[in-house]
Amino acid sequence: MNTTEDMGMNSERVGRANLNSRGLDRGGLNRALAICWKEWRVALDTPLGYVVAIAFLLATGFFFANHLFLVGQADMRGYFGVMPLLLMFFIPAMTMRMLSDEQRSGTFELLATMPIRTCDIVAGKFLAVMLQVLVLIALTLFYPATLALMGDLDAGQVAAAYLALSLLTACYVAVSLYASAITSHAVVAYVIGFGILFGLFMMMQAMPTFSPDVQNFFAAFMPLAHYHFMLRGVIGLDDMGVLLLVTALFLVLTWFQLERRRWR
Amino acid sequence: MIKVDQLCRKFGELYAVQDLSFHVRKGEVMGLLGPNGAGKSTTMKMLTCFLPPSSGEASVGDVSLHDSIEVRRKVGYLPENAPSYTDLDVRSHLKFIGRMYGLPNATITDRITEMTGVCGLEHVLHRRIDELSKGFRQRVGLAASMLHDPACLIFDEPTTGLDPNQIIEIRHLIRRLGEKKTVLLSSHVLSEVEAVCDRMMIIDQGKLQVIGTSEELAHHTQGHSVFYVRFKESGEQVLDLLTQSFPDIQIKPQDDQSNAYMLYHSEPDVPLAEKLFHTSVASGAIILEMQSKKKTLEDVFRELTGEGQ
Repeated sequence: MNTTEDMGMNSERVGRANLNSRGLDRGGLNRALAICWKEWRVALDTPLGYVVAIAFLLATGFFFANHLFLVGQADMRGYFGVMPLLLMFFIPAMTMRMLSDEQRSGTFELLATMPIRTCDIVAGKFLAVMLQVLVLIALTLFYPATLALMGDLDAGQVAAAYLALSLLTACYVAVSLYASAITSHAVVAYVIGFGILFGLFMMMQAMPTFSPDVQNFFAAFMPLAHYHFMLRGVIGLDDMGVLLLVTALFLVLTWFQLERRRWR
Repeated sequence: MIKVDQLCRKFGELYAVQDLSFHVRKGEVMGLLGPNGAGKSTTMKMLTCFLPPSSGEASVGDVSLHDSIEVRRKVGYLPENAPSYTDLDVRSHLKFIGRMYGLPNATITDRITEMTGVCGLEHVLHRRIDELSKGFRQRVGLAASMLHDPACLIFDEPTTGLDPNQIIEIRHLIRRLGEKKTVLLSSHVLSEVEAVCDRMMIIDQGKLQVIGTSEELAHHTQGHSVFYVRFKESGEQVLDLLTQSFPDIQIKPQDDQSNAYMLYHSEPDVPLAEKLFHTSVASGAIILEMQSKKKTLEDVFRELTGEGQ
C-alpha cells in the first residue's frame, strides 16, 4: 500500500492550484460545476428524469397543437400563456430532491464537511435544475420552427417570450430550491414549492378584483405580471430586473437556510 | 496534530460536549469510546467543522477550526452510517468527491485506482451504490474519505455493518494508515479499539473520563490489576483478616460466593500472592483458589461510564 507515502501532499495541493493569474479563487466555480455535473449524472441515470422530460414534452406539445388546430391561430401566444402553469407543476418536481434528499440521506454532512462554501452548493444545485429545464424548453423550439415554415412568425416576439420564459424558470427554480432546503422530505418540498408558486399564480388571477392602485402595487413585484409584459415582445429592463430580483431573493433565502445548518 | 482545548457544545441548555480537552499526535490512532449519547459524534462533527462549538478551541494540523475551509482540506471524514450518493456508481461518486476537493482530473483517476485497491472496491467500481451491500457502502465511504490524501482521518464507527472478515480487513487498513496519518475513530466495539488504537479516551455525558493506553486506563480506575481469592472459611473473620493485613488494598466480597473476595491493587510491584499465602498460613485460614485477573477495557469502560454500578 502506498497511500501514506506522500501523506498530506494532496491536501496541501487542494485549493491552492485553483488560483488563476489574477489570484482569484476559481475553486468555488469548479465545485459548483461539479455539483451541477453530479446532478446531471443522477438525472440521466434515473428513470424519473426521463419520465418528467417526456411528460413535459407531451404536455407542451398538447397545448401547442391545441391552440394551433382547435383555436386555429398560428402563433405561440397560447403556448406561452399556459407555460407558467405547466412549469408550476414540473419545476418543483424536478427540484424537490435537490436539497431535501441531501438532508434525509446524510450526504449533506458529507457535502458540508468538504472545502466548499454554501453559496457554491446553492449555485451548483440551481445551475443543475436551471440547465435541465432550459434543455427541455430548448426542445420546444421545434414548435416555433414549425410555425415559421407554415407562415409568418414574429421572430423578435418569440425570442422575447423565450427570454421571459427562461427568467420565469429561474424564478420558479429558486422558489422550489428554497422549498427543498427547508425540509428533508421530497414530497413536502414539492408541496411547499408548488404551494408558493400556486399562491403567486392565484394572486395574479385575483388581480382584476383589486383596485387599480393595489393592482399596480402588486404588479410591481409579481414575476408573472412581468412575464406577461415581456410576452408582448418588449424587453424591459425593469421586467427582467424584477424576475432576476425574485430569483436572487429566493436563492439568498436558500443560502440562509443551509447556512443555519452548517458551519461557515 | 489534533488539539482540543476546553471544547463545549450545547444544544439548548443541554451540554452534548463539555470542557473536552485532548490532543492526538501525528501518526497516532486514537480511539473515542463512550456509551450512546456520550458526545462522540458531536465531537467529531465539531472537529470536521460541521457543527460550530459553543465555546473552546480546537485545531487540526495547527489550523484553528475558525479557518474551517482549510481544516476541511486537511481532514478526511467518514460520518456515521457512511452516507454516499446512492444514485451514482462508485466511480462517479468518488470522482465527484475528488472534484469537490479540487483535485486535478489526472490525480482523481490515480487516487480512485489506488483507493479502490486499498478498500477492495475494484469489482464494484461501475455498480450503483444503492445496489451494494452495507459493507461495500462502508468501504466506499472509507475510500471517499481518503481520496484527497488528508493528513488527518476522522472515522465515526468505521466498522458498523461489516462482516467479521471485513472488520479485520478494515482494522488492518486503519493500522496501516495510522503508521503515518493521524486517525481519530469512534467505536462501540471495545476490542476493536484495543486492537487498533495506540491510545484511547472514554467520554461520558460529554465529559472526558480518562485518556491513555489501555494499561494507563486501567491505572485510572480501581487499581490496575485484580486479584481473586476464595477461602474455605466464610464470614466476617476472613474479611477482617484481609482488611487488617492489606489496609491499602480495596477488598470487595463477591455477591455470589460468601467466602470469595476481589482485591484491587494499584502497586504493580507488591507481591500480593506471596503476602496472601503467608497471611493465611499464619492465621490458619485455608485458601482454596487464588487467581490474578487483568482488568479488561470492558471493566474500565463499565466503571467509568456508570454501566457497572
